[in-house]
Amino acid sequence: MRLIRSEFLKIRTTNVWWLFAVGALGLLVLAFAINALNMHFGVLAPPPEATEGMPPEQAEALSAMAEPVALTSYMVTSGQYFGLMFVMLLGIITVTNEFHHQTATTTFLATPHRTAVILAKAAAGGVFGIVLWLVTTALTVPATLIFLNSEGITPALGDGEVVRAILLNGLAYALWALIGIGVGVLIRSQIGATITAMVIYTVGTIAVSIIVNVLTSLLEWDWLANVQWAMPSLASNLMTSGTDLPGQPHYWVGALVLIGWAVVTGLIGTLLTRTRDVS
Amino acid sequence: MGNVITDGEIVVSGLTKQYKQVRAVDGLSFTIRPGRVTGFLGPNGAGKTTTLRMILNLVSPTAGSATIGGVRYADLAEPLRSVGAVLEASSAHKGRTGRNHLRVICAAAGLPASRADEALELVGLTPAAKRKFKGYSLGMRQRLGIAAAMLGDPRVLILDEPANGLDPEGIRWMRDLLQKLAGEGRTVLVSSHLLSEMELLADDVVIIAAGRLVAQGPVADVIGQAGSVGSVRVRTPRPDALLAALDGAASSRTEDGALVLTGVTAEQVGDAALSAGVAVHELVTERPDLERVFLDLTAGKEAIR
Repeated sequence: MRLIRSEFLKIRTTNVWWLFAVGALGLLVLAFAINALNMHFGVLAPPPEATEGMPPEQAEALSAMAEPVALTSYMVTSGQYFGLMFVMLLGIITVTNEFHHQTATTTFLATPHRTAVILAKAAAGGVFGIVLWLVTTALTVPATLIFLNSEGITPALGDGEVVRAILLNGLAYALWALIGIGVGVLIRSQIGATITAMVIYTVGTIAVSIIVNVLTSLLEWDWLANVQWAMPSLASNLMTSGTDLPGQPHYWVGALVLIGWAVVTGLIGTLLTRTRDVS
Repeated sequence: MGNVITDGEIVVSGLTKQYKQVRAVDGLSFTIRPGRVTGFLGPNGAGKTTTLRMILNLVSPTAGSATIGGVRYADLAEPLRSVGAVLEASSAHKGRTGRNHLRVICAAAGLPASRADEALELVGLTPAAKRKFKGYSLGMRQRLGIAAAMLGDPRVLILDEPANGLDPEGIRWMRDLLQKLAGEGRTVLVSSHLLSEMELLADDVVIIAAGRLVAQGPVADVIGQAGSVGSVRVRTPRPDALLAALDGAASSRTEDGALVLTGVTAEQVGDAALSAGVAVHELVTERPDLERVFLDLTAGKEAIR
């Protein structure tokens, strides 16, 4: 417990946490605005020329998206993309700081049991993620009510699937902190870890989607399309989509993928840290 | 709580660290006694830092073991209450204040946060407590490191090159502090390559070279064992007359014309000069110093391997 307190103190006594929080909340506003425009022009009131000649699967997906439950989940979990990225970066920084500022020595002198240190970091990072999720959700809930009401749609906030999406979004925030810590232990260089994680998070996700889609259509192996859900960022999206949309796996597949990533990176990282010489 | 060591003896036995290419530490064994300041000496690259890090469970030994009060560092229930260590000058987050740096450690070690302020007071950093670490001078960083080591009021102190970056006043301060702490019965192990400083500070020395033990024991014993003998330096306008009066003392001349005599004491030289009526302008007993002994003992051991 005192280790977790120590880790919180580490986060609290530097500037990083509030810079990240401000960044995440600033981008939340942007993301909500983009999502609102997207829903308005893309789903609720699309211009006629956009829907003309649309393939039937896509039209089906579109009408599924227009359901209040799907809409509400989508809007309430706005900001997830950047929020998760910041939580991951914070996780990375809590670990790589120890090497960057050479405080690993001090930390491991106070606590020779290194696994306990990593667990404390995971706990502190997870709580930071959940706090960010709470603040984010406290902002998106009223904003979603206002937006959907102005669109003439009754928000489905009380719906079990929407509540589930909101809670799973919280889980995503916590798990991404763990993924960040796992990445930080694997790649000790602060710059190296940060850049690798951001590239994989942004470009990597898109690249995998494109490659998978191209391969799927070339080889005509439909199952191949599901490979993209193994990417953690798409998995968290899937987990919080509320309803099952056509052409997508179930939400819990996303949750499993995400937990898998957090466990695997954390486990490998912890094993490495236990045996690594600190000098 | 509990399991705070009562006896601060450090025992290193057969400690070995093999890196890919280099055997940094090679079958090293020594004992460090409580209540004394022990200087841990060796040329750069001798394996001092690796040894200290193995004692502290930061580097895992290839073979051998190290215990503090009979317990491995990793098995100490409250390590910071037993052992304080200062390993490198720049070991705090640049953007964190000195006080917060210490409070983070207090939290992890289960010590009250008030210990942070007490430790800052002890090392004279109270005025800079709320300043960020990046604004600290090298000397202030070294003091902060000592403050961190003292948080748990430990029986054992291990310091790696603590004099680095300190000004003469800071070195004097540290020497007094370490001697006071040893006087309270604590074990103080200090690595250094500053031999003149060690001769003033240390009661015992452990000298290593190329990862192996070269000598250990009280400073005077080590200097005695090394076989370097003392000499007497004398300056006189009539050196030949003095040499004739001394009869049998081995001599040599320094570049500026002084005689260096071995096998005689300063008293004998003075008496001989008086009876021979030779004027003496300077008469000094030169003891072999730690530096001389150190260079003799470590000569021929490659520093860079």
